[in-house]
Amino acid sequence: MKDRLKDFVNENREEFDVFEPRPELWQEICTELKIQQAQEKKPRKEAKVISINFGERLNFTADFMFMRVAATIVLLLACGITLWTVKQNNPAATNTTNTLAANTGTGEQESIYQVAPELAEVEVYYTSQINSKREELSEYDLKVLGLDETREIDRELARLDSSYTRLKNQLYTTPNTDQVMAAMIRNLQIRIEVLNHQLEVLQKIEAIKEQDTTEPQNNETTTI
Amino acid sequence: MEKGTFQDVNAQVVERCKAGDNRAQYELYKLYSKAMFNVSMRITNDYAESEDVLQEAFISAFKNLHSYKAEASFGSWLKRIVINASVNAVRKRRSELVPLEDRLAEDVPEEEYDDNTEWQVEQVRRAIQRLPDGYRVVLSLYLLEGLDHAEIGEVLEISESTSKSQYSRARKKLLEIMKDTHSMA
Repeated sequence: MKDRLKDFVNENREEFDVFEPRPELWQEICTELKIQQAQEKKPRKEAKVISINFGERLNFTADFMFMRVAATIVLLLACGITLWTVKQNNPAATNTTNTLAANTGTGEQESIYQVAPELAEVEVYYTSQINSKREELSEYDLKVLGLDETREIDRELARLDSSYTRLKNQLYTTPNTDQVMAAMIRNLQIRIEVLNHQLEVLQKIEAIKEQDTTEPQNNETTTI
Repeated sequence: MEKGTFQDVNAQVVERCKAGDNRAQYELYKLYSKAMFNVSMRITNDYAESEDVLQEAFISAFKNLHSYKAEASFGSWLKRIVINASVNAVRKRRSELVPLEDRLAEDVPEEEYDDNTEWQVEQVRRAIQRLPDGYRVVLSLYLLEGLDHAEIGEVLEISESTSKSQYSRARKKLLEIMKDTHSMA
């Protein structure tokens, strides 16, 4: 189908453009461009770095999303690393030194030495003392010596241990840590005293027994 | 032939524009502002609105120059921006560009006013200006901006056949207007 109108327009195409914009319009466009450039200078800088990864059409929205996601990941990572290092450092410091803590439960270990840092040292010292006393005690064959008293000592030590745990828990809540610490140290000292006393008793008994064993020997010789 | 050399010159200017060269931007503006202004004038039929469109289109073109691939000439790329901006401007003041009753694609009987009267450019141009918005836009896009009906359908969000029938009606109306003014004259 022949369109005479279309042909006519095509032939005279140029003559149809009769209007012209105001000459000032370019100046207005220029100012607008400058304003927009100034506004975009800062975000543009960031956008340029990332635009390598994304298609150019996606540029702007992708950049914003990317920055948000990246910021979130960085934050989460920082939190994770901080928590991890704290967890790593604390048990490392406490586990090797603390043997008493086995009695008091493991959950509280983490922060108790932050409340009272000197406690670790104190515990190490006294635990080693107590342990050596216990070893000395175990050298005596208590049954042969006819001593049922040991049970009572065990009970006494258990009582001391539970009060020690109680004191340790108080450390979290009491503002006056010095007083509690003093009580705890006293508690440990009492244990050593108890053990010392027991040792003394045992030594005395042993001395008497030795006398006993030598005396019947004498008797035998005399009777024969 | 002339077009080929033109594009080469443009490519250089466009590159300088990408670097933010203000003089290069002015060169492109000088080259295209008049044609683009008339494109917008035919669609919006409003001088102030066309200036707004032109300003908006050039700014958006300079800003998004990185997305312009040299597959089409800079002129046709810019023209697309102007056409879209103009159509949006018309849409803003008028919700429906092509009235719903006109969207039904039906054949408009072809009445050729083949009276061989000599047309004057000015007469045709003024007649186009007097067409209602919906007719004027489709007719201008087809006759003067060289879009085919598929492209017009895309721009106006109507079907290709609607664009065709709309053009037939617009063309008929235009010839009527011209006949009237001719007989009046």
